[in-house]
Amino acid sequence: MSDRRLGWLLLAPALALLGGLTVYPAIWVIWLSLHYRIPVFSISRWAGLAHYAFLAVDPRFWSAAGVTAVFTVASVALECGLGLAMALGLRAQRHGRRAAVALLLLAWALPSVVTAKMFEWLYHPAGGLVNFLLGGRPVNWLGDPALALPSLIAADVWRTTPFVALLCYARLLTIPAELYEAAEVDGAAGVQAFARITWPLVRPILLVALLFRTLDALRAFDLMFVLTGGGPAGTTETLTVYAYRALFQTLQVGFGSAIGVVVFALVMVVAVAYLRLIHRQEASA
Amino acid sequence: MAPRPARAAAALVVLLVLLAAGCRERPSSAGPVTLVFKHAKILGPADPVPGLLRRFEAEHPGVRVVSEALTWSSDEQHQFYVINLEGGSPPFDVMMLDVIWVPEFARAGWILDLTPFVPAAERDAHFASAIEPAMQDGRLWALPWFMNVGLLYYRKDLLAKYGLAPPRTYDELIRQVRLIQAGERDRRLDGYLWQGKQYEGGMVNVLEALWANGTRLLDDAGRPFPEPERARESLAFLRDLIVSGVSPAWVTAGDEELTRRPFGDGRAIFLRSWPYALDLFELPDSRVRGRVGVAPLPSLPHGAVGAGSTGGAHLAVSARSRHPALAVELMRFLTGEAAQRAMTEGAALRPSRPALFADPGLIARDPTLPALLPLIRAGHPRPVTPYYLMLSTTLQPEFSAVLVGRKSPERAIRDGAAQVEHLQQALAR
Amino acid sequence: MRTGRLRDGIVLAALVLYAMPFFWQALTSVRPDAELLPLSHLLPSRLTAVHYDAVLRQSLMPRALLNSLGIALSSTVLAVGLGALAGYALARLPVPGRGVILLGMIAATAFPQIATVSPLYLLMRALGLRDTWLALILANASFALPLVIWLLAGFIREVPRALEEAAAVDGAGRLATLRFVVLPLVAPGMASAALLAFLFSWNEFLFAYTFTATEASRTVPVALALFPGVFEVPWGDIAAASLLASLPPILIVVGFQRYLVRGLLAGALRE
Repeated sequence: MSDRRLGWLLLAPALALLGGLTVYPAIWVIWLSLHYRIPVFSISRWAGLAHYAFLAVDPRFWSAAGVTAVFTVASVALECGLGLAMALGLRAQRHGRRAAVALLLLAWALPSVVTAKMFEWLYHPAGGLVNFLLGGRPVNWLGDPALALPSLIAADVWRTTPFVALLCYARLLTIPAELYEAAEVDGAAGVQAFARITWPLVRPILLVALLFRTLDALRAFDLMFVLTGGGPAGTTETLTVYAYRALFQTLQVGFGSAIGVVVFALVMVVAVAYLRLIHRQEASA
Repeated sequence: MAPRPARAAAALVVLLVLLAAGCRERPSSAGPVTLVFKHAKILGPADPVPGLLRRFEAEHPGVRVVSEALTWSSDEQHQFYVINLEGGSPPFDVMMLDVIWVPEFARAGWILDLTPFVPAAERDAHFASAIEPAMQDGRLWALPWFMNVGLLYYRKDLLAKYGLAPPRTYDELIRQVRLIQAGERDRRLDGYLWQGKQYEGGMVNVLEALWANGTRLLDDAGRPFPEPERARESLAFLRDLIVSGVSPAWVTAGDEELTRRPFGDGRAIFLRSWPYALDLFELPDSRVRGRVGVAPLPSLPHGAVGAGSTGGAHLAVSARSRHPALAVELMRFLTGEAAQRAMTEGAALRPSRPALFADPGLIARDPTLPALLPLIRAGHPRPVTPYYLMLSTTLQPEFSAVLVGRKSPERAIRDGAAQVEHLQQALAR
Repeated sequence: MRTGRLRDGIVLAALVLYAMPFFWQALTSVRPDAELLPLSHLLPSRLTAVHYDAVLRQSLMPRALLNSLGIALSSTVLAVGLGALAGYALARLPVPGRGVILLGMIAATAFPQIATVSPLYLLMRALGLRDTWLALILANASFALPLVIWLLAGFIREVPRALEEAAAVDGAGRLATLRFVVLPLVAPGMASAALLAFLFSWNEFLFAYTFTATEASRTVPVALALFPGVFEVPWGDIAAASLLASLPPILIVVGFQRYLVRGLLAGALRE
């Protein structure tokens, strides 16, 4: 058998699975979004761009888009900042490295539902640790419209900062100590050493982390769905939660698919933009 | 020859496919006829259902009735039913449904048309407001199992202390709350508790406020908010209850149980809830035993008194049941007079048969029964449409936004109407 | 180097503090009900196993753990099995359109689940696969596959061509080379990919929530999210269930840390 043939043969099963369960649905969802489709009542007819026209002027959609934007920007900024700080703090570690990484990874590896339940309990007005440490004030973290989104962001940052920290940490470990020693001899230390040595070397990896985290934050669903369900009053309802409610609560498969397509397009646009940015950075470096 | 890892993987996959296929729920083929009865846990002092099922089994030898519990949350129950009934052969025969789902399930073809099985006399033995939502296109699809109506609980002792009668208007209620709170000087005594959380119960509270002001959610043609100004007043009123402190801010997260407990501990003057709570308030160890009164819900300027929401559970038969005739018999047995009497005696439930409200035996156990009869008759059913739940889940976030102060009532009504119209566009045939 | 030890100690303490939410949940799972609400003392007066008892004996968690384990193992085997073959093909064999396919893989890792959940729901419904393990095995494997292929293709490319050429000189065909030369060398990489795929499947919520209807077919995340409580939420039981749900991730993080980290870094650093 020729190499070419063998190549296709080995590739075929994977492509079949991907084709059937990832690519085909990705195309089908666009088709669905152009229909009025409510399976429960056997409603299925052409809608054209009616759903998209509705979304363009739908206050709930724009509110969800705003929540998604705030959640993404705030989470990612905090994660990258905190992650880098953590990595810098870990860098000089000699002993207990495995334990340190294990403690970090724990937060990342837990199922998001476990994290959601954990934080729901931490934020509980009467039984939660947070209010206890604040002296017993009955702050309603998840029920107050002004506090719910920051609380959600805090939970997400806790969960995903380890990923960024690990990436930066791995990169920091590869920077030879001689560079810093040479800088000290030159009289530059601390902040200057950071700016001249650390930052340029860590920046590319931070950009990659930024890409991954942004895409993940845009697609995030589990945490907000289980922690707050999008409430109170839609203050934590991201586009993904809005789509899910439209799909499986009001059973509007066509309309819900339209919102899903919007999320899809958003994620793809951001991915392409970031990749271009990264390639341009690498080209100029 | 495929390399070993791939072969092992393939073998494992095949094995797992077989395992997975076998992991699906398989109906039992041999043995006695088994009926599966799906219902939510009955609240109250005792659960009468097992006893009733054993009685049915005794009267029908060779038949076994298996009782399966649903989750507590109404929304989850609905999702469970939809996912199971949609898929094909659901593994149950008789099911307990919230009355608001009956038109939806009937339209979707999931429940059996009961018209040929239930004589008119049996149908008429139930409340008209319970039968009406169970009828679709002139056919009967479910029978009422127990009845609910929204009503006002009040602390008899506190009102008597200040020489007050139960309020007939909400203005009166607010005045009474202020008077009592000033007199009692108890910081922890809340005024009026109700369910403002974003769920079906919250929707009920909003609907009752709309009806109390003489307006409806949908007009006869199905258009939303036929009298927007009155609807605005109702929503503004609910929000004002929180802003003015008559209701504590946490009612926006309150459901039936979260609001019943403080009232049951004596920490509130008024409570809007369902009849089941009364039984729990009258338990021997209840702190408010003997001090709770029941009254119709007050009115707002443009409406009438007692605009409580009627509700309750109905029983229906799955259209794909393998023993439809037997399932119908079980359903008729459970909704029959004897079973409903047993349920009223044992659990915190109210029958859907008006005759039982005048039954001396039941009245002896629960003297409030006759008082409930006019309340139920004055109550309103929620909009009877197959699309009620879609409507409710679409509007709930809008109403919730008003209650927590994130949207003005005008905007919520406007946005809500737009969403409903978009939904109706999809539903138009 | 005393200051070094001290500094390491401080860093570890800081990290323990970071993981505090998890340890708090563990503490909650052994705290008696009466001391849960309201919280009056940090440490419980005594420890109790009543929550674990309730979860293991009266709840759906045992069944859910079985479901999750079966589904996660199967989808991992499927993803890594197919992924190894595909990765080799893309890394070493002259498949036309290779670049495009690889690019497609990268793009596929960015697909949002919310976009594909509605067509997949309709598909599973049409195939009658709702409530089966198979639906979730296929969905999870398909979602993990792009990353697995990408990772394994990268690891395979790192194997020196000389080794494969030597095997060819010895008369081994492509497949034999793959089986006896390449895969053993890439085994650590495969372990990394397998761990990531397993974690993804174990933690996966959206598809599991949507495709399962009956209680018996729920996976661990769904069972935890839908943990029943009639009047009040049983926080102690939920904490115990959460701890049980976290066992495989903890095991992997503690026991297979090296492979996990390698997989994470490779996935991020490979462009």
